[in-house]
Amino acid sequence: MNATQAEALARYSHRAIDQDNIGLYEGWLAHELRLNKCADCGKWHEPARAICPSCWSMNVAPAPVSGRGTVYLAILLRQGREEEGVTYPYPVALIELEDQPGLRYTSTVIDAAWEDIKPGTPVKLDWTERNRAPFPVFRIDQTRINEVKS
Amino acid sequence: MSRNRIKDQIAIVGVSSLPRTRDGNRTARSLVAEACVQAIRDAGLKREDIDGIVSSAGPGHWLIVPPGVTEMTATLRLPNITYLNDGMGVVVSPLIDAMNAIFSGACETVLVYHYNYRTPFNSKLAAEDPFRRGFRGYDDYPAENVKNATAYTAWCARYMHENNVPREALGRVAINDRTNALRNPLAAMGSKPLTMEDYLNARMVRDPLTMFDMDLPVDAADAFILTTAERARDLPHTPVLISHAVQGLCETASDEDQLASLAHHGQDVVVRQLKQKGARGLADVNDTDIAMIYDGFTFISLSWYEKLGWCGPGEAGAFIEQNWNAQQNRLLLNGRIPVNTNGGMLSEGGTQGAGFVREAVVQLRGDAGERQVPDAKSVFLANGGFFYNSQAAVFRRDDS
Repeated sequence: MNATQAEALARYSHRAIDQDNIGLYEGWLAHELRLNKCADCGKWHEPARAICPSCWSMNVAPAPVSGRGTVYLAILLRQGREEEGVTYPYPVALIELEDQPGLRYTSTVIDAAWEDIKPGTPVKLDWTERNRAPFPVFRIDQTRINEVKS
Repeated sequence: MSRNRIKDQIAIVGVSSLPRTRDGNRTARSLVAEACVQAIRDAGLKREDIDGIVSSAGPGHWLIVPPGVTEMTATLRLPNITYLNDGMGVVVSPLIDAMNAIFSGACETVLVYHYNYRTPFNSKLAAEDPFRRGFRGYDDYPAENVKNATAYTAWCARYMHENNVPREALGRVAINDRTNALRNPLAAMGSKPLTMEDYLNARMVRDPLTMFDMDLPVDAADAFILTTAERARDLPHTPVLISHAVQGLCETASDEDQLASLAHHGQDVVVRQLKQKGARGLADVNDTDIAMIYDGFTFISLSWYEKLGWCGPGEAGAFIEQNWNAQQNRLLLNGRIPVNTNGGMLSEGGTQGAGFVREAVVQLRGDAGERQVPDAKSVFLANGGFFYNSQAAVFRRDDS
């Protein structure tokens, strides 16, 4: 195990981390959203797996996504377990990333009214701190707000 | 070779359901043991007759407190077990397992049991119960997830975005269940009707779904005895034959957030099989007498109506409105076929479909008391959700 992996394990101690997904958390430390990508067929997948779900190549590795996407769907949690940085009501959004059709990442949208977190809303990756470690979130991308699609 | 060699070869000959409670103080083990003994006696059998045992306590069960089959065999001192398995938690899966074991000859008569047990994570009273303090939750994800239960809220949000479906359509599903529960003494919510006003004003849990859109956490146990149709005809009750029992897994399975779209998921895989096998009630709902439509979330029921082909994609809201009987305050498909006669999981209690199976058997035997559907011959059960537990079954009375 290298030093970055050790740091990811230590700083994200509340996450279920193993050899197959640790690249995601190493990316978080570096403020990069890295999802698994297949070096043979070029397809991304999420959540991280040891094998490419499309072509079954074992040649997969984390790589940074653009961080641009649109809200595919959103829900508002009115209750849930206590977690640092989470206050209820709390929006959870499934973000469709522009890197590949159907590639989605689940997070929240910050600094936005619930009514504005609609399907099709353009968003971009941003970072916040949770438990003194970087955590990926999204915010509405005002520069692309006129491109709203569903 | 027929695609359904097992059709009508296996029968359900014994059933038991314990009353569903929201404040019970018995262990899951105690509930299961009582239900198992009742079901064996209901079938007119003795412990020596049981040579197979299948539970819903396998991997993926939401409780990590399983009364599994080895423990239950010891509890009941079953002396002749030749087939055993802790199976999947949603009820048609363990039934299929038992059927296949009987059909292959691994055993002849199987005890299948299912239980649900409130956890500190889904029940306030359970959270205050010191006997449940050691429970680990099945859901141990950060807030930012759309897995398991949350997946249905999420995909309902997408469905409502894509289709112009009013919240009242979801409300009708809940009201239908409640109306039926009023005639079911086992039901946890069997004493008070639900109005549309109640529904629309209900507390949101995860927008767009309220507390009335989610099945009721209860303590419950159900047990079933399955055997060959041939042997069933020598036992006390009218046999209930299993004409079809199928399940379907969609390719994204438990990666719920990666499902390509609502156009294809596990329910489509199930319906494809039912079509290939010519299941009664699928092509024409009039060929069935009772429909049991899964309601772990109200939205799941809407999806089933569309996937079964009883209405078009996005039309479930209108379908429910067209089939609503205002006088009886419940659904009657084609003006005749009731839905979830036991009150469903929203009002009888959440048992992953086990309550539907017991209700189907009791109705087909003609033993459903004041809620009996006259001369019920066939029941269509559309069970489970979209991702990893889509299933269906068709039961019929032996003489029909």
